[in-house]
Amino acid sequence: MLEIRSARKVFYKGQADEKIALDDLDLRLETGEFGVVIGSNGAGKSSMLNAISGALVLDAGRIVINGDDVTAMPVHKRAMRLARVFQDPMKGTAASMTVAENMLLAELRASRRTLRRGLNPARLAAYRERLSLLGLGLENRLDTRVELLSGGQRQSLSLIMAVGGSPDLLLLDEHTAALDPRTADIVMQATVRAVEALKLTTLMVTHNMQHAVDFGHRVVMLDAGRVRLQIAGDEKKAVTVPDLIGHFSVKTDRMFLAS
Amino acid sequence: MDFLQDTLASFVSLVPVTLAQSLILAFVVLGIMIPFRMLSFPDLTSEGAFPLGGCVCGVLMAAGMPPVPAILAALLAGFLAGCCTAFIHLRFRIHTLLAGILMMTMLYSVNLRIMGRSNLSVFGSPTVFDRVPFLQPGFPASKIVMAGAIGLLAFLLLLHFFRTEKGTAVRAVGANPEMAEAQGINVWLATIGGVGLAGAFSAASGALMVQSQGFADVNMGLGILINGLAALMIGEAIVGKQSVLRQLAAPFVGAVVYYQLVSFCLAAGMPPPDLKLATGLFVLAMLALPSLKRSRGPAPARETFRE
Repeated sequence: MLEIRSARKVFYKGQADEKIALDDLDLRLETGEFGVVIGSNGAGKSSMLNAISGALVLDAGRIVINGDDVTAMPVHKRAMRLARVFQDPMKGTAASMTVAENMLLAELRASRRTLRRGLNPARLAAYRERLSLLGLGLENRLDTRVELLSGGQRQSLSLIMAVGGSPDLLLLDEHTAALDPRTADIVMQATVRAVEALKLTTLMVTHNMQHAVDFGHRVVMLDAGRVRLQIAGDEKKAVTVPDLIGHFSVKTDRMFLAS
Repeated sequence: MDFLQDTLASFVSLVPVTLAQSLILAFVVLGIMIPFRMLSFPDLTSEGAFPLGGCVCGVLMAAGMPPVPAILAALLAGFLAGCCTAFIHLRFRIHTLLAGILMMTMLYSVNLRIMGRSNLSVFGSPTVFDRVPFLQPGFPASKIVMAGAIGLLAFLLLLHFFRTEKGTAVRAVGANPEMAEAQGINVWLATIGGVGLAGAFSAASGALMVQSQGFADVNMGLGILINGLAALMIGEAIVGKQSVLRQLAAPFVGAVVYYQLVSFCLAAGMPPPDLKLATGLFVLAMLALPSLKRSRGPAPARETFRE
């Protein structure tokens, strides 16, 4: 379960270009719930995700994950509870390290690292099996450095790394936005399969209205740092792309294209 | 013909001495490689940590301390110096290179304070090189055996460490700090520990050098960084850097080959004052090679360093 309680963040406070990124934002996501966040550029989607992950320190408000207040925890401590897939495929993986080493880093996200050998045969076999689920042939490239993979392969790897170990909370930050439509589709399908199989509490930011309609239990629309609209339950099942776009105060070209 | 013969003769006669020296200096190269390659943290501390190790070791030996504890004390001093550089970078968001320059400049004064004068003779004090069995102390063979044995030990320990769970995490900090943090790795701890470790190696090299040459001098670090970098580049060109094993072997191979090359140049009559220019040009060429290649072939992945 994720709770954001009156989160507030102001950039450039007291200056001419003061910007309120999060304006007493409240949000609650039940355990196992898949929330989709939409909103125009500058609505506070990224700020919200960064506040949850710890990359952004709040001016006021609390972040609670499964009943524990994590507001004061640095990024690396929160990593025990949450995993994140970034928009940029470069960001979520260590480029100069191998596929297997990246998998190892993710596996140890929530545990203490020891002075024992990292990549042992048992682990390599487990990684091979988990990567084969993607059907991209990554299971045969465990010793390949990640920088030699394509953007789609890297993003798929990031996803497998993030969902491994069943984090309390999964954050997806426009994780298919940088991919071509076909690859984006593959990554999105893999995401939904994993989230459903593991019943992960998930928060996904997207600009793709079709994804917001097709996936998730709840749509959250942000505007000017606040939750403007939430659609859940049966209402969510009936919602259409034009419905969602109708709620935007500022319509961008991208949304017109989507409709 | 005579010239060639003379050159070869004087080069060959210098091989053992140069080998002993290069095995001692391999630790500095290691101390340059670890932050540079494992942490993407171009660190200049070694230019100050090397004489720091020498000064600490020299003073303690002059005060009658046995050689091994003197080296361990130097190691600790170098570790602290490295930690300070990393801390300055992390806490005040100062560029890694500037943090290193600040540290090595300040260390010069610290080194002078530690010794109380600019150089100190410890000739005649017992050294680790006296302890090699079957060999006469003071000759290159004993230095080669002792420095080589310590180097092998350091190599094996590091090889094990960088393949453990903790060591993999440290390498991740160098590969992608943001990702490492998101994977629950404490970037501060890994950076401070890693740069500290490198400082310890640089200082150990200085301490061994003092025991080898019989005196400590505040200026003994002058140019050590560029020499070490050149050695590292040669080592990487020979053994590569694709795996942990190769990356760790590069400093040792590079140091041995580089100092033999220098010795050869000197034997061939190259004036010693030109040495730094030649070394600098060589390092420049090695660093420029990827961008020269790029203008022809496909663009290789650009190396990124922390700022």
